[in-house]
Amino acid sequence: MTGDQVFNAVGPLVVASPAVLLALLGMAALLGKPFSERTTARLVQAAIVVGLTCSLTVLAIMLASDRRLLSLTLGNWIVLPQEHFRFTFKFTFDRLSVPFVILSFVLCGTTSAFASKYLHREAGYHRFFVLFALFLLGMVASSLAGTIETLFAGWELVGLSSALLVGFFHERSTPVTNGLRVWTVYRCSDAAFLVAMVLLHHVTAGGDFIRLLGSRPWPEGEALLTSGQALSIGMLLLVAAAGKSALVPFCGWLPRAMEGPTPSSAIFYGALSVHLGAFLLLRVGPLLEQSFLLCAMVAALGLATAVFGALAARVQADVKSALACASLAQVGLIVAEIGCGLRYVPLIHIIGHACLRTLQLLRAPTLLLDYHALENAIGNRLSNVSPAWEPATPERWRRRLYRFALERGYFDVILDDCIARPFARIFQWCDAAERRWTDFLAGGPSRESDALGVPGPVPVAEELQ
Amino acid sequence: MSTVEIQRSPTNSDRRRSALPSLERLIEHAAHLLPTQGPISVFVHHNTLHAFEDLPFAEALQQAKQVYGCEPYLAEDRYRAELDRGRIRCDDLAVVLQDDLGDRADELIGLLGTRFHLRLAMLAHPLRTAPNEELRWVIAETDAARRFRRDVAPDARRRVIESTRRWIMRDFRNGREHLAVAPYAPQLAPILAELLESFGQGTIDQWSDATWEAFTLQLLWRICVNGAGASAPTRTESPLRRHRDLLLQAAGEDADELTHDVLIRFCAAFLDQGLAHWGLPNRDRGLFAAFVELFGSRGGVLPHWLRGLRQELVRLRDENTQPLESIEESLELLGVGDDEREPFISATLLALRGWAGMIWQLETNAEWTARPAPRGTLVEYLAVRLIVERFALAHIARECLGYRGPLRQLRSFASRHGSCSVASGDLQRAFVFFQLAQVLGLRPEDLQSLPENTWSRLAAEIETFPEIERRRVFQLAYERRYRNETLDAVAAHARHAPQRQARLHETAPDFQVMCCIDDREESFRRHLEEVHPRCETFGYAGFFGVAMYYRGAADAGFRPLCPVVIKPQHYVEELPVFTCEESHRRRARTRRLLGVALHYVHRASRLMIAGALTSAMGALASAPLVGRILFPRSAARLRGLFGRFVRPPAATQLLLQRCHPAPGPDDGHVGYCLSEMADVVERTLRQCGLTSGFAPIVVVCGHGSSSLNNPHESAYNCGACSGGRGGPNARAFAHMANDPRVRSILADRGLLLPAETYFVGAQHNTCNDAVDYFDLDRLPLVHKSRFSGAVCAIDEARRRNAHERCRRFESAGLAVTPHAALVHVEERSEDLSQARPEYNHAGCAVAVVGRRASTRGLFMDRRSFLASYDPTQDDEQGTILAQVLAAAIPVCAGISLEYYFSCVDPHGYGCGSKLPHNIAALLGVMEGAQSDLRPGLSAQMVEIHEPMRVLFIIETTPNVLQRTISANPVLDRLVRNEWVQVATLDPQTKTVCLYRNSRFEPYQPESGELPAASCSVDWYRGWRDNLGYASVIEEEWVAGCDATGAAQ
Repeated sequence: MTGDQVFNAVGPLVVASPAVLLALLGMAALLGKPFSERTTARLVQAAIVVGLTCSLTVLAIMLASDRRLLSLTLGNWIVLPQEHFRFTFKFTFDRLSVPFVILSFVLCGTTSAFASKYLHREAGYHRFFVLFALFLLGMVASSLAGTIETLFAGWELVGLSSALLVGFFHERSTPVTNGLRVWTVYRCSDAAFLVAMVLLHHVTAGGDFIRLLGSRPWPEGEALLTSGQALSIGMLLLVAAAGKSALVPFCGWLPRAMEGPTPSSAIFYGALSVHLGAFLLLRVGPLLEQSFLLCAMVAALGLATAVFGALAARVQADVKSALACASLAQVGLIVAEIGCGLRYVPLIHIIGHACLRTLQLLRAPTLLLDYHALENAIGNRLSNVSPAWEPATPERWRRRLYRFALERGYFDVILDDCIARPFARIFQWCDAAERRWTDFLAGGPSRESDALGVPGPVPVAEELQ
Repeated sequence: MSTVEIQRSPTNSDRRRSALPSLERLIEHAAHLLPTQGPISVFVHHNTLHAFEDLPFAEALQQAKQVYGCEPYLAEDRYRAELDRGRIRCDDLAVVLQDDLGDRADELIGLLGTRFHLRLAMLAHPLRTAPNEELRWVIAETDAARRFRRDVAPDARRRVIESTRRWIMRDFRNGREHLAVAPYAPQLAPILAELLESFGQGTIDQWSDATWEAFTLQLLWRICVNGAGASAPTRTESPLRRHRDLLLQAAGEDADELTHDVLIRFCAAFLDQGLAHWGLPNRDRGLFAAFVELFGSRGGVLPHWLRGLRQELVRLRDENTQPLESIEESLELLGVGDDEREPFISATLLALRGWAGMIWQLETNAEWTARPAPRGTLVEYLAVRLIVERFALAHIARECLGYRGPLRQLRSFASRHGSCSVASGDLQRAFVFFQLAQVLGLRPEDLQSLPENTWSRLAAEIETFPEIERRRVFQLAYERRYRNETLDAVAAHARHAPQRQARLHETAPDFQVMCCIDDREESFRRHLEEVHPRCETFGYAGFFGVAMYYRGAADAGFRPLCPVVIKPQHYVEELPVFTCEESHRRRARTRRLLGVALHYVHRASRLMIAGALTSAMGALASAPLVGRILFPRSAARLRGLFGRFVRPPAATQLLLQRCHPAPGPDDGHVGYCLSEMADVVERTLRQCGLTSGFAPIVVVCGHGSSSLNNPHESAYNCGACSGGRGGPNARAFAHMANDPRVRSILADRGLLLPAETYFVGAQHNTCNDAVDYFDLDRLPLVHKSRFSGAVCAIDEARRRNAHERCRRFESAGLAVTPHAALVHVEERSEDLSQARPEYNHAGCAVAVVGRRASTRGLFMDRRSFLASYDPTQDDEQGTILAQVLAAAIPVCAGISLEYYFSCVDPHGYGCGSKLPHNIAALLGVMEGAQSDLRPGLSAQMVEIHEPMRVLFIIETTPNVLQRTISANPVLDRLVRNEWVQVATLDPQTKTVCLYRNSRFEPYQPESGELPAASCSVDWYRGWRDNLGYASVIEEEWVAGCDATGAAQ
């Protein structure tokens, strides 16, 4: 068999294995007959082993045949010849996507093995793995995406499963509130992505990355856009990446996302999901290079996030928030590296950081034991050395910085007060105006819902004695 | 802003000042309601409702429900499920109900039977209820008013339908109601007319059975509706204390959500024990000052609801307002009157009870922590809390209710605004009548003629037996079933105790093992005795009388190893033996280097630039990641292999004897003097009754537990060692008892330890069932073969113990072999992903204090604490008993009650599911990203527990026990108020007396039979659930064991 034949056999399996897993788990849940814990765990394991083996095989083919770009097209779903529009699912295997997809399989595999024991006897066991399969499919689709539509589809799956997993314990209110918050940020940034996609179609008449970034394999492509076009599209994509990777000013959601079971926090917000924004920027790297201003913005945003993350991580007094903020510092740095025109360095940085952070988050509950062991080894209480800049700063400024870090940079407050509140205010005002008009026209109270009174807590089930 | 404007007049502020001391007392008083769990690294089981111990159990639960809003018992449906599966029997319910009602049981309720029957029906049949709209829908759209409930017996159903049919056909057919002879209620006529109309009066002769059933029920329903209208409801609403409650009711917005968001982050930063790398500025000036400095300075952004906070804090700082004054001022501004201060302050503190409780613990009870809180921190916290709360309240009142007036009138405004009309409850009452009438088999004919006062009486009767009372009765029945089974089993088994004792003492046993009284050691001891019938076991609190501060060779500091109630006087240190000192020093240096490096990596991974460097190496982390999760046991072995190079040398000794007179932590003061050692050994041996018949080998076995990813790890360790591991205590005890100088002192005191008896210290790991022995190098060689015999038996016993434990773990198959079971539990203790390394005390329900002969060979399913005590060696006053019980009752009660409360309400009293736990400030766990600190036990720890008060069975006479208990106020309180159940087992006659209604009453066994099994395995094999008692026949095993021994 030639390399091509093997590739045509195993390539589709990389995407198909998570898709089949999702279909199986999802159908079982829809039919109301979820699998037993053991079957669920076996299915997940099987899907991941198949996916991982196939992606390693593709890697081997690429290394053996010294080809740096292999692609796979699945069907022509929509063809509009007049508009020069074709919608296909296209997956490319290159130096960016193969490491990323292998990383996804390895980390998801480890975490699923962890979760299958950790969530034993949990009522939401099956639900967790349905969302997990959704996430895995999203991760694989977006890492391998060869068109921007495919990338967007995977991106959305990742967003949906992340938000639902934040609200995993939906019998309490905070996970739900925080899940909604994550979802809202994702929606805003996804809207930017969507607009960017439409613009790209408008400019290049297609969503294929080859059209957009040239046919040379990553990272050597060259964008076929003017620097103005690159700037506008790039800025929109930067907003999309900022939402997904929790860059400034969206960074407030990451610490809040630590509501789900520990393994989901680890895999989503520590390891994979949070790097997806950086991945997007890496993917469209050639486009960034078209505009110096864009590169500068990317670097600045990354650096700002990194500084903020490092500051915030120093003051968080609970382990999961501390790790979330520490993740931010590294993700920010990775984005800054991309902005500086580096390609392989950020990729290595992502892989290393994802592995390290997953391990740290999965071990987070054992922190007390670790601290105790360290204290015993060192023979003293652990001391915290302050960095060199700290004593040099005047007290007043140190206090301000501390408060800035403790309040997580005020980003949430600013977004709430300067965007969400005025937004809601405007609509409330419109609502009031409409009511005035309809009342005026009807010559009396015109809304049935007003008669029901304030939607306070309903006097529930008077407990019968 | 309105909250800030205060009218200041000198008289006002003087009055305020004079009230301050009483305010401080109020706060301190309220603090006792807060959870008393300290930092989680020293987890000690205690009664969750310790503050209510002065009240009888049932009453305390009722009050606690109001204070904390937590469930006092399991849900009614859970009890009914237990009733269905036979865990509670109907006669348990009947007996308990009869006892509970006493003389009032037989009172007649109108024509409806006795109170006893009414209540029994209410217990046996679930009475559903719902809001008005739902009830209307249920009546109109479902079969509820057309078909009898399924739990009504078919013949009762037939009787009611047929009598109704005859009544209607006789008196009402063809509109002849005016001819009726009997005095019918006036409102019946229109109802009947309408009903007959709707069912088709013309075809009444052809009505099918189903139609008659529907007709009967419709009639019954309408009569009940009428009756409910006639009965007068009596209900009292619990008053809402806090502004936040009223606002939540009126506006649907929770002010606490806003307040807590600020407070949790700030409290965590303030209390942090070293998790954050950058501490709170001005922390040493106290919580209030730190808050004022941080939020009162320029250069920050405040959320819109906190606008004005800075000015307010600046004003407080400028006026130099003290925290108490600030509280006083806030209370005034909130319009809290003097009479309601106490409940208001309690409710306010309890709103964030985990953090408030931790502040109080750090302030009063945790001088050993890295950063204890200064006195008065709780007061400062309350001051800050009230300030922030004022802003949150004003904001919500303004935004949602448009209220801009002063806060002191907010409550009256909100209660006016939100006086959501509560439905009268007529419909609900009618529905309950309707269901009761069905299950009691009442006929519409009888009901329609009930006078109004009978309906009211019935309503009142139902109201006096509300859900919580029903659950209380269920709980009593639940406890009664297990208690009777236990007492029957123990009484039946104890009858043969003298024979067992005699047989054992024919010759000296081969070896003796002294374990902790822990319920987890029950199975270990049972298996050991099965494996090696010529051994004897004892139970003593796991610190073995050695109350000490201990520092291991590789430990940074001393930690207390004794029950929390004792403050140790002595210090003990572990040191390497002389020849290993050099390698010890070398290894300590390596450990230190490695530790510093690891700590650096740990810190660096959270920084920016250093973090990038560590991340670059991060791919290396995938090796431990994959290894430890997919192959936990092999990874642990590998780590153990590498760990060998840095671990302190195996050969160490205890620095146990001091030369200076005063004990202390410094050089020369560490250790005990000889007479103190003799005291310890004498007390312990006398208390567990081991004063003669010594075996050549006595293994003293402490216990501990090792698990990963488990913030509650110390809860799994020995409760008698303050949540530490009891091995060092066992080792120290063995040392003391082996010392010939100590023995000669003991001989002078009349306690003769034979020269050939040798004590060996050991530690049983209850998670992976390993047993480690200490100081074997000193074992006299003459004992070598005897000792290896003991080790052989212990090894087999721990395999079987692991096997018995595995039956509760679903991830271990029921067909697992003892060896595979041991591998399984070893893996559990090394597995990062294991949320249940072991089940800890789950299931504990009994504590037996007495000679082992009474319980030896009795399968107790790991549910019993076993303390050894020999009544024949005690004096008539029960001096020894008093010492044993003074430790045993509070410890066992604390464990059982903590399990009880965490089990009946895992989210209120317990700490909820373990899965989203997040360690905060190194002090406790939060749920998810940010929440209140959660004390108590996790849902995973209590999932197989049966919540019951522990039953003490004490081998003594009622008189002695009564005296002993009344002499000790702590025990008296627990026993008299029924926080524990107590029974005596007569040392001679083996009859049982049960403590009820403040006295001991003879207990009549239900059955004298006890199932027998040839070995424990035969009894439990194939079962996951709790198991009943059985007597394990020892003789069979003598032969069996010899065979196994020969095979090996």
